[in-house]
Amino acid sequence: MNLKELYQEIILEHGKNPRNLGKVHEFNKDAKGHNPLCGDNVHVYLKLNGQKIVEDISFEGSGCAISMASASIMTDLIKGKNEHEAKEIVEDFLGMIKENPDLKSEYLKDDEKTKLMCLSGVKQYPMRVKCATLSWHTLTSAMDNSKEITNTES
Amino acid sequence: MKIENIKTEFPIFDEKIQNNDLVYLDSANSSQKPKVVADKINEFYTKQFSNVGRSVHYLAVAATNLYENTRSSVQKYINAKDKNEIVFTKGATEALNLVANTLGQKYLNEGDEILITELEHHSNYVPWHFLRKSKNIKINFAEVNDNGDISIEDIEKKITSKTKVIAITHLSNVTGAILPVKEITDLAHSKGIIVVIDGCQGAPHLKLDMQDLDCDFYAISCHKMYGPTGLGVLYGKKKWLEELPPYQGGGGMIREVKKDKISYGDLPNKYEAGTMATAQVIAFDQSIKFMESIGIENIMKHEADLVEYGQELLQKNNSVKLIGSPKNKGGVLSFTLEGVHPHDIATILDEDGVAIRAGHHCCQILHDKLNIPASARASVGIYNTKDDLDKLNDSINNCKKIFNLK
Repeated sequence: MNLKELYQEIILEHGKNPRNLGKVHEFNKDAKGHNPLCGDNVHVYLKLNGQKIVEDISFEGSGCAISMASASIMTDLIKGKNEHEAKEIVEDFLGMIKENPDLKSEYLKDDEKTKLMCLSGVKQYPMRVKCATLSWHTLTSAMDNSKEITNTES
Repeated sequence: MKIENIKTEFPIFDEKIQNNDLVYLDSANSSQKPKVVADKINEFYTKQFSNVGRSVHYLAVAATNLYENTRSSVQKYINAKDKNEIVFTKGATEALNLVANTLGQKYLNEGDEILITELEHHSNYVPWHFLRKSKNIKINFAEVNDNGDISIEDIEKKITSKTKVIAITHLSNVTGAILPVKEITDLAHSKGIIVVIDGCQGAPHLKLDMQDLDCDFYAISCHKMYGPTGLGVLYGKKKWLEELPPYQGGGGMIREVKKDKISYGDLPNKYEAGTMATAQVIAFDQSIKFMESIGIENIMKHEADLVEYGQELLQKNNSVKLIGSPKNKGGVLSFTLEGVHPHDIATILDEDGVAIRAGHHCCQILHDKLNIPASARASVGIYNTKDDLDKLNDSINNCKKIFNLK
């Protein structure tokens, strides 16, 4: 039962065919993330325009179905949002994965919330939460232009 | 003791783990503990406890005797020449750090070379890397071949006139390759090179004879030998342990301490500073006795049968790719599943009660070489059965079903 919640069709599909995989042309922000426990790596690229709107976003990396699907869904719905909105969505998602029963951000449409909630099954697998959150932490680093590699162990 | 019924000696197999019978295939990581070991820890703390080697009261003397009995048991078990060649450490990691550090202090100089292999666990690489940083020592790597093995020819090829130490694993924790450590030791000694063996996977599964093997150092992890955590053994030839400086300073390792002069104690105290993992050492005696009661030959035969069975089973399973097919293979079955990340495999197997490890198993150099970020690893111990491996295979099939693989 739990496994079915974790490996929903949408997760498997995004894991197998991740969206926005590659490097954004003319990106102006990026950051790398690393999970030393499993060796997963992710590199998030952003193109922010003058109005601080995410014109384009992508990621490179390899990892488990959860981490790939999470990065894929994240990039899909962050595209077109402005920096403020993106940061609130990241916080909302991390809060949901950690403790909140649902998503609250008004910047997320209902269908986007439904998509993100597919990742909530990971809550029952504490060792796997980092797989779902790595790309999101890395997105924050990219927006903050942090030069340090995001590390799930620090 | 009969190996067929050995599971009954391990209380954990009476437990339901998430409503499942436990199929424990993670012994290369750490082994489960027989009741006699857990009972001894309890008995020592509740009936016999005292610190060792210091006070003169009854309990202190009795505890010291128990502690030293384990040293004698280990000496006998690995056929070391002298009881003082057995040093207790907090783990095999500390044992290897002790060797690298003290050789670095006294024996190695800038420009000297250490030869390790691409199979090494980080604990037999990073301590040498410290010397690369602090003393400009060069580290060379013998290369892993397509079978996941290291050939003695490649070792010979990588030895230079500057090679001072060869540090190698006895049994790879990823490919299962059992290295020809005796031949490598003979070769190294013919060139005056010191041999350090990481015996973490060797000691629980292979027959050990230090006098026959003749290596200079051998590191053992006790928690992989059905013993307590927080404990390792360093075997070191007496001449080296006498010649090399201490590793840590503190109580118990000194002879005389003055304001202007300190002299160090005799072996093995010289390397056992501070209060040691006393209860663990004392309980480890039970692990040794437990293994002796089954007999290492029986253990080796049992595990070889399991590996052969598991290899055949997984080879027949399409989508499964086994890592390493060395001629001499220990009880490690590492694999990948086309299209499924090892962490997803481990989570799905866990749901069926099958405990394996996923990741790089502290061998990033090897995984880089194999061009994979991670692998799944099932490893066996004395308590495993062919039924456990069938359950592994069934659970892998379940994994394939979830991921829509054929």
